[in-house]
Amino acid sequence: MKIALVGNPNVGKSTVFNVLTGSNQQVGNWAGKTVERKSGIIQRASQTIEMIDLPGTYSLTAYSQEEIITREYILRENPDVVMAMIDASNIERNLYLVLQILELAPRVVVGLNMMDLAESSGITIHSAELAKALGVPVVEIVAAKGKGIEDFLTEAIRMGTLEEDPLLAQVPYPEELERKIQAMEELLANHSWATKYPLRWLALKRLEGDPEIGQEWKTSAPNLAQSKGKNSCCDYEVGVTYELQETTVLPGEKLLHKYEAEGWSKDHFEMAFADAKYQYISQILPKFRTHLNPTKPTRTDLIDGWVLSPIWGYPIMLAVLAFVFWGSFVASAPLGGAISQGMAWAAERIVSLLEWGQVPDFIQSLVRDGIFAGVGAVLAFVPQIAIFFAFFSLMQDSGYLARAAFLGDRFMQLMGLHGKSFFSLVSGFGCNVPGIMATRTLEDPKDRLITMLINPLIPCVPRLGVMSAVVAAFFPGSRGSVVMLSLLMLSMLLVMFSALFFRRVVKQTERSAFVMELPLYHIPTLRNVLVPTWQKTYSFLKRAWTFILVASIVVWVLSSYPQGVSMQETWAGKMGGWLAFIGEPLGFDWRIMVAIVFGFAAKETTLSTLGILYGVAADASQSIAQAMTGAMTPLSAYTFLVVYMLYIPCLASVVTTYKESGSLGWTSFGVAYNLILSFVLGWIVFHGGLALGFH
Amino acid sequence: MDRCLGDLKSGERACVESIQGGGAIRRRMMDMGIVPGVELEVVRRAPFGGPLQVRLKGYYLAMRRGECAKIVVTQIHEFNIDTVDNTRHIKHSLASR
Repeated sequence: MKIALVGNPNVGKSTVFNVLTGSNQQVGNWAGKTVERKSGIIQRASQTIEMIDLPGTYSLTAYSQEEIITREYILRENPDVVMAMIDASNIERNLYLVLQILELAPRVVVGLNMMDLAESSGITIHSAELAKALGVPVVEIVAAKGKGIEDFLTEAIRMGTLEEDPLLAQVPYPEELERKIQAMEELLANHSWATKYPLRWLALKRLEGDPEIGQEWKTSAPNLAQSKGKNSCCDYEVGVTYELQETTVLPGEKLLHKYEAEGWSKDHFEMAFADAKYQYISQILPKFRTHLNPTKPTRTDLIDGWVLSPIWGYPIMLAVLAFVFWGSFVASAPLGGAISQGMAWAAERIVSLLEWGQVPDFIQSLVRDGIFAGVGAVLAFVPQIAIFFAFFSLMQDSGYLARAAFLGDRFMQLMGLHGKSFFSLVSGFGCNVPGIMATRTLEDPKDRLITMLINPLIPCVPRLGVMSAVVAAFFPGSRGSVVMLSLLMLSMLLVMFSALFFRRVVKQTERSAFVMELPLYHIPTLRNVLVPTWQKTYSFLKRAWTFILVASIVVWVLSSYPQGVSMQETWAGKMGGWLAFIGEPLGFDWRIMVAIVFGFAAKETTLSTLGILYGVAADASQSIAQAMTGAMTPLSAYTFLVVYMLYIPCLASVVTTYKESGSLGWTSFGVAYNLILSFVLGWIVFHGGLALGFH
Repeated sequence: MDRCLGDLKSGERACVESIQGGGAIRRRMMDMGIVPGVELEVVRRAPFGGPLQVRLKGYYLAMRRGECAKIVVTQIHEFNIDTVDNTRHIKHSLASR
C-alpha cells in the first residue's frame, strides 16, 4: 500500500514521518529537483506500507517546486491513501489545501495537529464536526508528544482497505460558476481521462487552463545499470523519472474560447475557484471551531514583540547568530582538533604497519601526507558542520529562521534576493559549505543558484584567521582594524555587486516574491533536530568523500613529486613559478603564487605553505607573517589579502556547490568568476594604490 | 478612495478589496489566503522600508512593501474592531475583479 503524507509547511509532518518510519528512511532528492525526497517502509499487521513524505506546500497549483512535486506525485503515482496533516491553530489556510486534495484524491484521512498550541490561543476544534463537514475521518494528534500518530496510520490503513471510495464533501461553487463547470464536465465525461481522475477536478483544471491536463507520462523505474555507471557516490537522485509520452488535447477548447469572450479568462476562473473554497471554509468554520478571546495576545505575539521590534530585533538577531557561530565554529574546535589528532594517530599506526611490511616509502608518504592529512583536514570540519546543522534545524523548527529572514530581507532586497538568502550568506562567515547547503530553504531555483554562487565571496572563519594574522603583521595597532574592516566592506560590496550581476547571467527576470509565513513559535522535539542533523552531515560526507580523497591524492602528488626536491621544485611549486607572470602585475613573487595554488585544497594551509617557502618553522603563525614583512610591502600585502579573501574558499565548497546545483557548468562558472574577480580586483588595488602614492 | 495594504499603519485593520496584477505572485497570495473579502491586520512594519508583518486568518505573513502595494483594501471602522473572527466575508460580484 502506498501512503502519501501531505500538508502545509510547519505542520509537523516530518515529526509524524520520523515517528512512523523510524530508521527505515531513504533520503534523496526528487529526480531533477533540489527538493528532498523522503520515503520509508512501515510494517503493520499484514501490510507493507510505502510511506512518502511529500514536501510541505500551501496549495496544489504549480507555483513552486514543492507544489509541483506534490501534485505530480498524487497525479502520477496514485497513492492509495493521502494522509493530510493540518494545523489546528491555523485551520483556515490549512483547509484550503485539504479541499484541493479532496478534489484530486478519493481516499483522504486528516490528521489534526497542534491542538495544544491552538488551545493556548483560545481555539477549540471539534474534530467530529470537522470530519462530518469534510466527509473524511479526522484524527487528533499531538505530534510533538507522539500522541495519536499510530491512530492516524491505523485510520489511513483502514481507509486504504475499503472496498469503495468514500463519499467526500464537495465544495459548493456559486451558481454561475457551477453551470460553467458542469458544462465542461459534460464534455469531458466520455473521455478516457475521466476514468483516471475525478471528473470535477479535471473540469476545474481544464477551465484554469492547466498545462498538465492532457499530458500522458510514462513512469520509468531507475535504470540500475546506468546508475551504477554513474559513480556510487553520486546516486543521489532516487525514485522514478518521468517521460512525457504524448499530449492529448482534451475536449472543451471551444467552450474555453466562449468563456474567454464572456470575460472568464483562465486567471479569472482560478481566482473564482480559490475564492469559492475560502468562502466554503468560512461557511463551515463555525460548525467545528470556537475561538475565545481572539484579541488576547498569544505567546507568539509576545515573543514577536521583542524579536521583531524595531529597537531590539537586530540586537537579538545578532546575539542569536553570535551564539550559533560560537557554538558551531568556536566551541566545536576541540572536537575538530581531536579528529585531526585521531587521524594523525591512525596514519602513524598504518604507516608503522607499512614500514613493518617494507612497503616503499612513497606509499607510506601517500597514506600519511596525502590521504590521511587531506581527508583528515576535511573531517575536522565535520563537527562544525554537524553542530551548525543542529542549530539550523533548531532555528527552522522553532520559527526563528523565518524571523531572521524577515529582519534581513531589507538588505537582501538591495541585491534582488529573497529574505531567506540572508541566513545562507550569514552562515558563510562561519563556513561556506553549510552556507551553500542552507540555500535549500529557497524556493526559486534561480535565486538559490545566485545565493550559492555569491556565498564563496564571504570570508569564512579559517580565512578570517589567516587574514587577521597577516593584517596584524603588516598593519600593527589600530591601523589593523581599519584594514580588516575595509576588507570586510569590500567583500560586502562585491557580494552585492555579484548578486546583481548573476541575476543578469541566470536571466532572473522575476523579482522574487517575498510572501512568507511567520510560523507560530514552538519548541522543537529533540528527534526533529537530531534526525535532519544526522541526515545532512551524513549526506555531506557521503557525497564529498570520494572527491576529497581524489583531490587529496592529486594535491599530494603535485606537491611531493619529483621526490626529494625542495618545495619550489615540485610540480605544484613549478606551477606557482609558471603562474608568476599572473602574480607579477599584482606585485606577487612566485612564493605567493605557490601558496595560492596550494590554497585550492584548503585555505587555512596557506600560512604553513608560506612558512615553508620563507623558511620559517611552521609552528607559530605570527612568526610566519612576520617573516613575510621583510619580503613584501604593505601595499602588496594588502593586495594579497584581497586576492586571498576572494578566490575560491576550498575544495569542499566547490564540491558542495557542484552537488547542490547539480551542474558542472555553473560550478566551473563560479570558480572561474571567483578567480577572475579576485585577480582583477587585486590588480586594481595594487595599481590604484601605487597611483595614490602608497607602497 | 483606494488604499493599498502598504499604506496602513501598524495595528490597523483592513479588508481586501482586490489584488492587482497577476501571475505567480497573485497565485501565491491566493494560496496564502489573501482573497477579496478577507480581513487583514498590519502587525508591524520592519524598519528601513523592510517587509510588513500581516495577520490574517489567525496566522502571520511577511510581505514586502512592493507586494503590499498590489493589495487594494478598504479600511475597517472602529466599531468593527472586535470582529477578529475572520469568518466575515464580504460579498463581491465575481465580475468586479
